[in-house]
Amino acid sequence: MDLLLSLTVNGLATGMLIFLLAAGLTLIFGLMDVLNFAHGGLFAWGAYSGVWVYDLTGNFFVAIIGAIVTGLLLGLLTEYLIIRPVYGNHVQQILITLGFMIVLSEMLKVVFGPDQKAAQPPAFMDGSFMVGDVILIKYRLFIILVGALVYAITFYILRKTKIGLIVRAGVMDKEMVQSLGINIRLVFMLVFMVGSALAALGGVLLAPYSGVIYAEMGMEFAILAFIVVVIGGMGSFTGSLFAAILVGLAQSFMAYYYSDLSLAVNMLLMVSVLVFRPQGLFTGKG
Amino acid sequence: MRPLKWERSTGIYLLVFSFFLLVPFFYDNRTILFLMTQIFIFGIFAMSYDLLLGFTGIVSFGHAMFFGIGAYSVSVIIDRNEPTMGYLLLGTIVGIVIAGVVSLLAGLLTLRLKSHFYAMLTLALAGLFLVLAEKWRGVTGGNDGFTMQIPEFFKDRGHLYLTCLVSLIVLFFLVRRFTQSPTGRVVMAIRENEQRVESIGFSIMFYKVAVSVISGIVASIAGVLYILSLRFVDTSVFATDVTLDALLMTIIGGVGTLVGPLIGAGLIEVAHHYLSELASVHWIFERWLILFGIVYILAVIFFPRGIVGSLQYMWAKRSAKKKSSSKEKDLAS
Repeated sequence: MDLLLSLTVNGLATGMLIFLLAAGLTLIFGLMDVLNFAHGGLFAWGAYSGVWVYDLTGNFFVAIIGAIVTGLLLGLLTEYLIIRPVYGNHVQQILITLGFMIVLSEMLKVVFGPDQKAAQPPAFMDGSFMVGDVILIKYRLFIILVGALVYAITFYILRKTKIGLIVRAGVMDKEMVQSLGINIRLVFMLVFMVGSALAALGGVLLAPYSGVIYAEMGMEFAILAFIVVVIGGMGSFTGSLFAAILVGLAQSFMAYYYSDLSLAVNMLLMVSVLVFRPQGLFTGKG
Repeated sequence: MRPLKWERSTGIYLLVFSFFLLVPFFYDNRTILFLMTQIFIFGIFAMSYDLLLGFTGIVSFGHAMFFGIGAYSVSVIIDRNEPTMGYLLLGTIVGIVIAGVVSLLAGLLTLRLKSHFYAMLTLALAGLFLVLAEKWRGVTGGNDGFTMQIPEFFKDRGHLYLTCLVSLIVLFFLVRRFTQSPTGRVVMAIRENEQRVESIGFSIMFYKVAVSVISGIVASIAGVLYILSLRFVDTSVFATDVTLDALLMTIIGGVGTLVGPLIGAGLIEVAHHYLSELASVHWIFERWLILFGIVYILAVIFFPRGIVGSLQYMWAKRSAKKKSSSKEKDLAS
């Protein structure tokens, strides 16, 4: 029972990290119809810049803010330089963002050095609670909390505020919203920046969780995020949350009972979704 | 089958190819012959990629896995048995069958969906194969890989050069024949307008899956030849770099031209060769992938036709101009 509970907490924490990465991806895809293969690169940049700021200031929350700012700036740059020339052309989007992914992860090696770096959770979140016989690691609970918070806030903004209304209307009919006097290009740029910031947030939260960061982690987690996006239904925000938790739990249990197969079980989930429900578990935007 | 029509371009290709066939008899430089052999191998690989990207409009981000499947099939079978021609042939057939089955499954699963799905599934599948090759140490030797003996015949670098070149020539003309066949025309029509082809009554799924399988098989043959030239295999054959190389070669050479990827392969392999030598000059050249990435991004935005594609476009524009001006003259007289 204790084992099951701690595996579940582990799985939830991993799932929430994947969710943060997949949320940005699905937000950008669902709202702007752009599939960003460079998303993993933004994730890795978030992790590196966050760890860098943390080493500099020693304050974990400043590090998180630093990572988010990096994500916003890189998002701005990516949208302006890479995505803007290829709006509407899917094949070109896929091709160009993969190229940018390579540039991003190689740039990491140039700026921060090619070796992997160690990362530690801050002192006040190191350690664990004991509830009865169950050990709950503080940092993992924190990740679950942040993930839930991000989901709630994004969902609220998209569904209940005027900004969300504009974004959703812009997806349906770009020209109409533009003619009502709203600069839809700016709105799309902001959406892209928020998506990138979510990826960077996931990156900086991952760093103390896994203990080390390395340049290739972007691609590794991006594959997980793609699997999640396919399972959850492309463009469905709630779907991403459920699929991420599913993948996180599957991976956590698999890693304990049969560690070599943990990537295979995710592929198996994705393949069965593609066979039986190719549109994903959840459809529609939201 | 349509009767084969002799085209002027066929003659030019044959002439260029026969020039390369004669090279090892006159010029026996170890480094250059090895480089040329690599160019032929990656030419085959890039050509198989062009069949997907250029002719059908399908983006694959896991093409390295077919390359790796061919490479590992041959090296494991030869290493476990004896380095004879028979086992080489067996390994090649096993590689082709596995690559065919994997590409068939990947195609069946995702090609009825939007173009993103094939790209994502192949990326994930290639990741799976990479992990498999790392973890299944008993068979693959894990990260360290292993060296193996190859049949006596291929130990001579001239023989190897000619084998790779002949494979390239044969596969080039076969693939070209395919693209010029009625089936190939349907495939190209799918690239241009999928809905229209479907409404005429063609089963798009069948054609797309067929191209996916052919492309996977050709890529696995490139993997087999790669192993013969290196006599060593490790997990790097499954790496994303290999896929990226194929992408670069195809895009820079010219998407959908078939010759373009061969020229692209030549350029990229030569660049690899000299850039890795430059690494001792300045450390930034160790990160030459950045350079390739930037060139690639610029090519996608500003040079989408590639070298051969741009030349063909210019040629077509010039002859169109000539035609219209001669027409005007006819009218005037």
